[in-house]
Amino acid sequence: MSPTGYPWPIETTRLDNGLRVVVSEDRTAPVVAVNIWYDVGSRHEPEGQTGFAHLFEHLMFEGSAHVAKTEHMRLIQGAGGSLNATTNPDRTNYFETVPAEHLELALWLEADRMGGLVPALTQETLDNQREVVKNERRQRYDNVPYGDAWLRLLPMLYPPGHPYHHATIGSMDDLNAADLPTFAAFHTTYYAPNNAVLSVVGDVVVADVFALAEKYFGGLPARADIPPAPDGRRPAPPGGPVREDVVGDVPAPRVYIAQRTHPFGSVEYDAVTLLATILGNGRGSRLYQRLADGARLAQPDYVSAYGVDLAHAPAPLIVSATARDGVPAADLEAGLVEVLDGLADISQEELDRAKALLATAWWRQVSTVAGRADALSRYTTQFGDPARAGDRLPAWQAVTLDAVAEVAAELSPSRRVTLTYLTEETAQ
Amino acid sequence: MSLVVERPGPGAARPYRFPEVVRRDGVVAAHLPGQALAMAILLIDAGAGREPSGREGLAAVMSKALEEGTGARDSAAYALALESLGAELFTTVDWDSFRIGVQAPVDRLPEAVALLAEAARTPRLDPADVARVRDDEATALRMEWADPGPRAEAALRADLFGLEQRHGRSLHGDPDSVAAVTVDDVIGYHRTWFGQRGTLVVAGDLSTVDLDALGAAVFAGAGEPVERAGGPLPIDPRSERRVVLVDRPGSVQSTLRLGHVAPHRAHPDYVPMTLAATVLGGAFTSRLNHLIREVRGYTYGIRGEFGQSRRFGRLLVSSSVQTAVTVPALVDTVGEISRTAAEGVTEPELAVARSWRAGQLSVELQTPGAIAGALATLVVHDLPDDYHANLRAALLAADEATVSRAAADHLNPHGLTLVVEGDAAVIRDELVASGIGEVVDAQP
Repeated sequence: MSPTGYPWPIETTRLDNGLRVVVSEDRTAPVVAVNIWYDVGSRHEPEGQTGFAHLFEHLMFEGSAHVAKTEHMRLIQGAGGSLNATTNPDRTNYFETVPAEHLELALWLEADRMGGLVPALTQETLDNQREVVKNERRQRYDNVPYGDAWLRLLPMLYPPGHPYHHATIGSMDDLNAADLPTFAAFHTTYYAPNNAVLSVVGDVVVADVFALAEKYFGGLPARADIPPAPDGRRPAPPGGPVREDVVGDVPAPRVYIAQRTHPFGSVEYDAVTLLATILGNGRGSRLYQRLADGARLAQPDYVSAYGVDLAHAPAPLIVSATARDGVPAADLEAGLVEVLDGLADISQEELDRAKALLATAWWRQVSTVAGRADALSRYTTQFGDPARAGDRLPAWQAVTLDAVAEVAAELSPSRRVTLTYLTEETAQ
Repeated sequence: MSLVVERPGPGAARPYRFPEVVRRDGVVAAHLPGQALAMAILLIDAGAGREPSGREGLAAVMSKALEEGTGARDSAAYALALESLGAELFTTVDWDSFRIGVQAPVDRLPEAVALLAEAARTPRLDPADVARVRDDEATALRMEWADPGPRAEAALRADLFGLEQRHGRSLHGDPDSVAAVTVDDVIGYHRTWFGQRGTLVVAGDLSTVDLDALGAAVFAGAGEPVERAGGPLPIDPRSERRVVLVDRPGSVQSTLRLGHVAPHRAHPDYVPMTLAATVLGGAFTSRLNHLIREVRGYTYGIRGEFGQSRRFGRLLVSSSVQTAVTVPALVDTVGEISRTAAEGVTEPELAVARSWRAGQLSVELQTPGAIAGALATLVVHDLPDDYHANLRAALLAADEATVSRAAADHLNPHGLTLVVEGDAAVIRDELVASGIGEVVDAQP
């Protein structure tokens, strides 16, 4: 086993305007990944402006000072590249992988939309992308059985005013209510070079990348007064168990049990990650063995347990199962609770299985230049040092049975959030 | 603010080389130096095309049953043995092949492949387990069919190919056909198809891997190859459009699946067809996505592509649009397909499609999983070892006239089937009034 999870070189610099640039050279294939994390996510959105961070993920593809509407996509795809962007409560992320000779194009495009989005932002573009986002919401959350589970869990897990209280997709009313200058101000506030990390991984020469970063991003002004998100690190302790029972048009009863744990990056959260893997990853996991295979309460393809890797507040652990035909929701829930209440006897064999699976998952993530660039952006943004990307795998390997037992003991019934979906028949 | 105004041009292109294809007595492999993980896939000629009528989904049930224990150990012990290696077993069923594979740290690959062979060749297939797996699979399919999409896909297949053909039904069957699968069906399918040697595909850092030993592990005791299924089926293009309505009461979106029959994967027009479809609906900048998403705001996305297997193919355009704009979205979509067939593509659009498809070969083919998939394509479609290298050149060389001719020859806007899965009570009258095609209800 490699002593580090990141056996590639890492070089960093910081431009005068505060942009952090991370380069990791790998000449294996003639491709390069460019990845930017902006330290703005839905946790920064004040009340009445939910969904803004995510809407920008869309607007950033709609043209900037020297790039016409949709030209970004055309240029990257025309260069043979892949591209996308994602938003979550913590941050907004833009990335592309291109044949290495197109690195400069990718940097130019990223710089143009970092520094030049606002002059190109029109009412027409804003209206169009609001409609696209509404369709995204319909497609992902509203028109799919259980699709709104995440939207329901978050407000039960985090109190009003907490930065994770509302979901990233946000409120369509908030998006409708805001005018063009309000959106422009959001970009001006957060899309500054000193609020971003640029990672470049692949077939490049480090000094060339630093010079190109200076050329394209060096002229952008830093912003002095970027407002921090509200501090969510110490939310009020749960006042007791919370639950919601939803009766809806779903094909089978499903139960989610969730609770806040520890922030991503902490040693406690590493133990939570192992615990989630022991519980819900693979046919050898506890949920599979006990609920799907053993008691036959749950459908085998629909048991899961995972931590949501959020870094700025205690991150949620979510456990879920869907009832096998004819199994009442209450029986499924009782089975799930029994598994969660019986975690005192985790064996070394179970822990080793989880470590082996996590090692494979880690190596799979860093098998692409894009996966590596994302890791470097994350660790620079959230922990101030890209080299800490190499620490996660050894940290998982170092988790002891005692550490897992400690976080397992914290899964107390009084802290649980329970969300159940009941079919219309079973609810009657 | 100081931005660089001028868009930079490309630097010197660096050649992409697909790794050398190593062939050794049933093993097809590629060496990827420095990769921590390796992938091995056993390809068996036992895809969905082999399933008997009324038992669609049988191969998928069998794929699940393979993990329910082997002659040597029960299912829990098997899962633990495999997962303790950090290995992940996967099975997939497509029209032409059944694939059972493992991804594992390269130093654990021999043990992982031995476990793969154990499941593929000597599964326990205990009747009680098989029956349970069948029931679970039927339930899983029922869950899936509660989502928008599968019913529309089934209606499209039925209309394009006819229910009497295997590929006129869904790839993984439907909840009823899976429920009809018997224990004997599963045991019989394994006996009939899993005695053949098949082909083992391996991708990873081969410097410490003994390919012959891997081959020996998966081919031990295997019999002769099976006779291949027949050649490409004839195509009978339609000349009238029809709308098939799948009712989804209360749906806030209409799920659209448009298509018509098209040539098989190894057709000589594969490259110009792919490029024509890329201009129409393959890339984010495609005509369809530009109009339906970026200009109209009707959808989160729309795609169009040719889906092709050994014996048949089809054009497929997929989207979900908000209910109120169902008809205008269909009219626009048919309009773009018609325009592309009639007028062909333009050089600027083709330039994007060409370099995107060519560039994607180097961008996407980085991982053991992606390379193993590319090797599997060679095996399933009988393609030569230099296929990927030549594909890149062929994509870059395709000219406007050739691609426009492929669009004219292989797009058939007048014979499209337009499946709409949505709230029939809300959209039916407008669909009928639009005159876009005869409106019929999907068979339940």
